[in-house]
Amino acid sequence: MSWINRFTNFFRTRKLGHEIDEEIRFHLESRVKDNIQAGMPPSEASQDAERRFGSRLRAEEGVREANLLVWLETVRQDIRYAFRTLRRNTGFTAVAIGSLALGIGANAAIFSLIDALLLRSLPVRDPQELVQLQMMMPGASTPSSFSYPLVRALSEQSEIFSGVCGFSNAVFDTGRRETPEPVTGTWLTGACHEMFGLVPVAGRLLTREDDRPGAPPVVVLSDTYWESKFGRNPSVIGGQLAISGVAATVVGVSPRSFTGATIGEVSHFAVSIGSMARVLPDRSSFLEASARWLQVLARPHQGISREQITVRLAVRWPNLVSAAIPDSMAASRRRQMESTINVIPGGTGWSSLRSRFNQPLVVLMAVVALILLIACANIANLLLARATARRREIAVRLAIGAGRTRLIRQLLTESILLSLFGALLAVALASFGSQFLVAMLSSGQESMIVLDLNPNWRVLGFIASIAFGTALAFGIVPALEATAVGTAHTIAGTSARIAGSRSRLGAMLVTAQVALSLLLVIGAGLFLRTLQNLRSLDPGFRRDGVLLMEVNGRKLGYRGPQLTAFYHEVLQEIEAIPGVASASFSFTTPVGKGQVSQRIAVSGQSVPNEETLVNLIAPRFFQTLHTPLIGGREFTVGDTATAPGVAIVNQAFVRRYLQGVQPLGRHLSIVGQANADMQIVGVVQDAVYESLRESPPPTVYAPFSQRGGNLRAVFEMDTRGSLAQLAASVRTKIQPKSPGSPIQIGTFTRQIESSLVQERLMAALAGCFGVLALLLAAIGLYGLLAYSVARRTSEMGVRMALGAKRSQVLWMIARDAIKLLLGGLAVGLPAAPAASRLVSSMLFGLTPSDPATMLAATALLMFAGLLAALLPAYRASRVDPLVALRYE
Amino acid sequence: MPKHTNDRLQGTLDLLVLKTLASRGPMHGYGITLHIEQISQEILRLEEGSLYPALHRMMQAGWLRSEWGASQNNRRARYYSITAAGRRQLTEEEKNWAQLTEAVSRVLQFT
Repeated sequence: MSWINRFTNFFRTRKLGHEIDEEIRFHLESRVKDNIQAGMPPSEASQDAERRFGSRLRAEEGVREANLLVWLETVRQDIRYAFRTLRRNTGFTAVAIGSLALGIGANAAIFSLIDALLLRSLPVRDPQELVQLQMMMPGASTPSSFSYPLVRALSEQSEIFSGVCGFSNAVFDTGRRETPEPVTGTWLTGACHEMFGLVPVAGRLLTREDDRPGAPPVVVLSDTYWESKFGRNPSVIGGQLAISGVAATVVGVSPRSFTGATIGEVSHFAVSIGSMARVLPDRSSFLEASARWLQVLARPHQGISREQITVRLAVRWPNLVSAAIPDSMAASRRRQMESTINVIPGGTGWSSLRSRFNQPLVVLMAVVALILLIACANIANLLLARATARRREIAVRLAIGAGRTRLIRQLLTESILLSLFGALLAVALASFGSQFLVAMLSSGQESMIVLDLNPNWRVLGFIASIAFGTALAFGIVPALEATAVGTAHTIAGTSARIAGSRSRLGAMLVTAQVALSLLLVIGAGLFLRTLQNLRSLDPGFRRDGVLLMEVNGRKLGYRGPQLTAFYHEVLQEIEAIPGVASASFSFTTPVGKGQVSQRIAVSGQSVPNEETLVNLIAPRFFQTLHTPLIGGREFTVGDTATAPGVAIVNQAFVRRYLQGVQPLGRHLSIVGQANADMQIVGVVQDAVYESLRESPPPTVYAPFSQRGGNLRAVFEMDTRGSLAQLAASVRTKIQPKSPGSPIQIGTFTRQIESSLVQERLMAALAGCFGVLALLLAAIGLYGLLAYSVARRTSEMGVRMALGAKRSQVLWMIARDAIKLLLGGLAVGLPAAPAASRLVSSMLFGLTPSDPATMLAATALLMFAGLLAALLPAYRASRVDPLVALRYE
Repeated sequence: MPKHTNDRLQGTLDLLVLKTLASRGPMHGYGITLHIEQISQEILRLEEGSLYPALHRMMQAGWLRSEWGASQNNRRARYYSITAAGRRQLTEEEKNWAQLTEAVSRVLQFT
């Protein structure tokens, strides 16, 4: 048949139907006539004709299906029929679509976050070619950043790479000096824009020429910044823009889609390191080998694989490092030479968020997948129950010859329609959900995380395939069950056998639901207790009642001894504020950012290979933080720059390096620093340093006045009164001393909470999903029991007529509930430790198979299940035997 | 090439239909049924209903064409006839059938 015929057949469906009918009728009538001529009586003749022909319906359907496009018509019929069926049962349809929307939406929300953070490629030329270089120092578990000279040395490896880009985001005070605006921009090495293959929207982009020493400072704006700040005024290009006080020439605008190579942050402009850093007073150290601050993306030449890059780079690496790093940093140079360089795909840019949130996101993905499964089990049970209600309709259709496959296809169409509507709603829910998640993740960062959450093809494809998959998952078994009827029995109404198998299937589903929700509730319990453990941990310092303040002395122009004097001046002002019990300042605070570690040598003992944490503090530091002094003294004003060097160590340091020796009076020194000898004058209790999870490391404290140099400082104030009042007083008193540079005020509580963002996220979400799972499982149990009671109404009636008490009937149903619950527990409890072990690295203070949590979860599940069983059991006991028996 | 059992059954029906139309010219479905029954001396009895999907399928494949005409009793019936492509398919099917029967007899003769 030609294509034209097939196409016109589609439009002539009804005509085709008549033709088929006529053709078959002709056949049958001819047979009947021949039979009569052969001597058969008419009734027998037609019976014989029918028998020989076989199923007329099947013949008609067979012919229809032989026509390809007419098959599409049958699909259209299926859809229309499914629509009608669903519209008739609004209650069921609403519940099903609602649960699907929630389940699919939750999955889509987490997946779009995973997509935005981990999977999306940068909007650059051929992102799949890019690689990221990571430097793993010996003994380190996380990669280290690169220094500027090292990146320049890498850029010269032109046999391997066609372009190398070093970059880092930073906040710059932009605009006029009187009204500076903090704006996020990117430091770039020369080859970056070229390597990314970007095309400027206006003007030109940065080149290697701009990265030379002595090149004039230039800046490239992002399209969105050009639009929001300058209204896309073309005269801005070629004009000047003040960046951190330096007049930089705007040379061009980068494309709209490109917001930097750091995922999670939006960069509004880009400057070259070589030209800009030189002219900025407090950033000139960025050019030196001692500052490791850049991330590296590179584009290798065509055809060079990642393994080849690793090998070739490994060969050249030692020379590269020795050329880039001067002799004065011999120790650090040796360590960097011994580092390995990992070469990983770089098409998705770089983000510090990935290592933080990788595992939680994966765990959450598993959790919402399980929730979806539980929801599917509920819908499957509902469909099974409805299949029983529709058994007559289905049996009749099967009896008149409709193919079982066709019926299954039609029932599946209903399932697919449900999933489709659920998925449409899910898209909306997902966008809310993912935005909410990003807001939650941002609470642990200084600024809002910005991710491109617009649904792209990958996310939509994910939603579509999940929708289709769930439709099959919850639809196929009920469809098979519904059509597997013993025809005659069903029509006659004695369907006990079938209903029995349906009941068994339903019971299996509920058992699975109970097991799965047990796992989720246990998980929720583990994460909640982890958070609680971390929050109630004694960190070795006072959490509440301490105010923190940061003043940027360096930006105000102070240097060296002037800077230290400035800090002391501020300290005096603070101490004079009423309500301040004591105050101090330090280079860094516990659980704050910017921890520094150095190699320490304890005189009279060999040099240990690890690095010890070092903090610089002012007098009364430990008093302010309420960290107990175990022995010796705090630093005093007498420990000036000219006085002998002193140090205070913590207990961990003593345990590690000064076992069995009196620490006070011992000498230690910092390797690689001049004038480094210090005498230990005090020992303090361990205080948490970097994170609450790690036990406090060995720490050395030195006086700020002796080693402060050009470092920043954070001020701590201890108060009995209200922190808010103190904050206000501090601001009024200290802000005038820092014109043009706003002071920052925080608290330990806030710092600790932001370090716990991962744990808070998991506790909150796992908790919510645990409750949801519990609810779904309880609903499933309720549904099954209610259905079972409805089905067995006559049985109850008989029992009660024969003398059973109401309480006995109630107990009968309760027993069924308990059996189902125990079945689920029997499956779930052994699986729980194994499942929990997968997340053991995220727990704190408890083992994955923590018995208390498992016990509590089991009790909660039993309670919820029995509660769910209450209503059906009560209804069963209220059955009036007369009514029940009459209904037979 | 020996085919899977389902194809074999379907292929046999195709073969019979194609041969019938090739040797007897245009016929309607009932006529094809009668011819096969008579010539095979009642040994081959089709499930008649399955003939029509097969006829339409073969039309889709381009081996047959059809047109409405008048039967002997002046009743409207659809007449099928074989096309050139159909004749080629017939040759192919006959060859397959010969191969199959030869292979089966060889196995049966082996003691």
